[in-house]
Amino acid sequence: MARLGLTPPHPHRPAAGSPARRLARLAVRAGGACVIVGLLAMCAQPATAAGKPRTILVLYSNSRLLPANQEFDRGFRATLLNTPDRQVVLFEEFLGSPRFAGRAYEQTMSRYLLGKYGSGPPAVIVTVSEAALDFVLRNRAGLFPRVPVVHLAVPRPFLRPLAPLPADVVGVPVDYDVAGTIGLALRLHPRARRLVLVTGASAADRVWEARVREETRCFAPRAAREFLAGQPTEVVLKRLRELGHDAVVFTPGYFQDGAGRDFAPREAAAAMAAASAAPVYGPYDTFVGAGVVGGRMPDFEDMGRQAGELAGRLLDGVEPAALRPPKAVPTNWVLDGRQVHRWGIDARAIPGDAVVRFRTPAFWEVYRREALAGAAALMVQAGLIIWLVLERRRRRRAEQSSQEHRLDLARAARFAVAGTLTGAIAHEINQPLGAILSNTDAAELILESGADRCDQLRGILPDIRRDALRASEVIRRLRGLLAMQEVERRPFDLSETAREVEAMLRAEAQRRRVSLYIGPVATSATMVGDRIQIQQVLLNLVLNAMDEVAGLPDGRRRVVVSVERLARGVVIAVRDFGRGIAPEHMAKIFDSFFTTKQGGMGLGLSVAKMLVEAQGGRIWAENGLTEGAVFRVELPASGAKGFRAPGHS
Amino acid sequence: MSTRALIHVVDDDESLRTALVRLLGAAGFEARGYASTGDFLLQPVPDRPGCMLLDVRLPGPSGLELQAALQRQGVALPVVFLTGHADVASSVRAMKAGAVDFLTKPVERATLLDALQRALALDALQRTARDEGARLRERFATLKPCEREVFDRIVAGKLNKQIADELKLAERTIKLRRAHVMAKLGAGSAAELGRLAERLRNLSDG
Repeated sequence: MARLGLTPPHPHRPAAGSPARRLARLAVRAGGACVIVGLLAMCAQPATAAGKPRTILVLYSNSRLLPANQEFDRGFRATLLNTPDRQVVLFEEFLGSPRFAGRAYEQTMSRYLLGKYGSGPPAVIVTVSEAALDFVLRNRAGLFPRVPVVHLAVPRPFLRPLAPLPADVVGVPVDYDVAGTIGLALRLHPRARRLVLVTGASAADRVWEARVREETRCFAPRAAREFLAGQPTEVVLKRLRELGHDAVVFTPGYFQDGAGRDFAPREAAAAMAAASAAPVYGPYDTFVGAGVVGGRMPDFEDMGRQAGELAGRLLDGVEPAALRPPKAVPTNWVLDGRQVHRWGIDARAIPGDAVVRFRTPAFWEVYRREALAGAAALMVQAGLIIWLVLERRRRRRAEQSSQEHRLDLARAARFAVAGTLTGAIAHEINQPLGAILSNTDAAELILESGADRCDQLRGILPDIRRDALRASEVIRRLRGLLAMQEVERRPFDLSETAREVEAMLRAEAQRRRVSLYIGPVATSATMVGDRIQIQQVLLNLVLNAMDEVAGLPDGRRRVVVSVERLARGVVIAVRDFGRGIAPEHMAKIFDSFFTTKQGGMGLGLSVAKMLVEAQGGRIWAENGLTEGAVFRVELPASGAKGFRAPGHS
Repeated sequence: MSTRALIHVVDDDESLRTALVRLLGAAGFEARGYASTGDFLLQPVPDRPGCMLLDVRLPGPSGLELQAALQRQGVALPVVFLTGHADVASSVRAMKAGAVDFLTKPVERATLLDALQRALALDALQRTARDEGARLRERFATLKPCEREVFDRIVAGKLNKQIADELKLAERTIKLRRAHVMAKLGAGSAAELGRLAERLRNLSDG
């Protein structure tokens, strides 16, 4: 938007001091009017006493919709109206400078204002920027001579020739810091060697041109100055487009270009910033946001607040002379964050107290909380993952060691069983060996006798062969039982395993005088798993059952093994006819080292349970209906779900 | 009555049993096989020289139990045990019960035959003793009651005169009866008569 239309001092303005003289003359000329004004003022006084609303006339130099004016208005109202019991009515008038100017216009405007507000003159007049102040000072005598004036947004250079102002004209001067802005620009762009200065063609623009030429002289050694003054906008934009990175542009905008086209300064600056290949700086706060990088500038809303403060105190009855306004409206470094980013300006070069507007907030600033939460979640997650990975490794190790442990234990249990069966095994082996020996002895004797008893010899040899095979079979079984083996998962025939168990235990059962009956096993009882381990389970259960029935009368020294085929697998039941399991032992019988037997280790059943579970099966015990106990082992059938593929251990 | 020794082989292992019977046959014995103690008991035991080759572990009653049962029944067949697994307890029990030997399978032919020979020798000895005792009892049975009165007193170590006083008989009569007793029992002296009397006591006790 246009700069405030801070109408620069008119070129035809007389030298310093003359306006004051003119005002004095006016005051004398309007002596008669003083009475009227005094009356008016007196009229105003009772209104105050009665608490009636008083009016403030705000006279803007330029047109109504300039953003600078709007910002000023916002600050002004906020400050003035924030006192609740203050009854104020605000009126605004706009001089339309610099488009409308000249003596005739001023007279028309004076008449208009007098006609409009003559019946209820304002308590305070606020002028915004130099054109309005200039207008009021020159026409005050004919307008509202006794009404105090508050001026704002008037550059200090403009006020200098007016000093001293009448006592009831107070205000805060502003500084548009051309040198400061350009100095900052050159600091932010250290490689800039050219300083392009764009001004317009109107009288006000020429004042700015003169000022820019004057104030940039000091930068000449640092950067070559190039003036684009009073050029048509097309020419200006073309030149700016062709600039390289070694250039920095400064412009106060312009009201009129070299082709006579009217602009609001902000429009002009925005067009330049859009076209320029080099960064553009300006003196007005309102330029920031229009594409200009920034500058050192006062804030129009600040000015509004200052004006509101002063006007408010005047309404409160403070004498204008006693107001002591600040020396100046504060000037700030103001930058457009988007432009800072666009031109790659080093953040470290930006003054620490600079106001950076439109800053694209850093991710961190916008999503600080979310980022923290996210990071925390991520860390928690990462921690969790690490923990899980470690846990998994630990568990795998534990599993591995438990697997090894289990193998060791199973093996130890097998040795224990083998130890239990030593007598039976010796018997098993010695039986065929004895037969072989006796047969060979017999054959020898027959041969020695010289008698022709070939038929007898022919009967002996097959017997020897059969017994030799029998012995080797016992040894094979024993080796199978004792071999240090990995757990394997292979198809095997349960009926064959049952037969082997029966063969292994036959002698032992005989020794213990227990009748062992292993029921028929379905021919299709093919399972997948570790044959030796299942054999071990059966051995343990049968030996346990044999222990149970030891010492009982003949009829009860029985152990019956049956195999039942289910859809999901098989159930092997080992039944004894002993005393059964005491209820208080039921929960513990599969625990390691739990035993009710004298000399028992308490490992048989726990090993059986461990092996069964390793095969994906389950084992449980219950008491028979009338006597004894039944141990059942359920094993998944081959191909049943829950079994891993063979070869995976 | 054949003089050839008969060996009873009790073993539940058919293969071993067959082999043993075969070996004993080749070694000049007659051998019979039984699969269990029951099998053996079901058959009459012929009164022949012989012995038993007995497995300890058998279905039903064991070899040791059979041994004990036979002794109770007065079947005096000497027993040689042959076992697949010799544990101390059963071997001690067997030997205490009078087993000739306690062998472990597989057994060397010489060891087996030696044990069997000893068993047969024992059997022969027992058989002789049993025959002599029987003969003694027969002779003893021929003594008249009056002669038995005199025999008892001679064995008790009394002199003819003391016996005559006790029985209120003449010493000459006693002398005559002593001569009859000595002749009937085949004893040459009073000391021999004492030994005979002891054997008779043992026989009647056993």
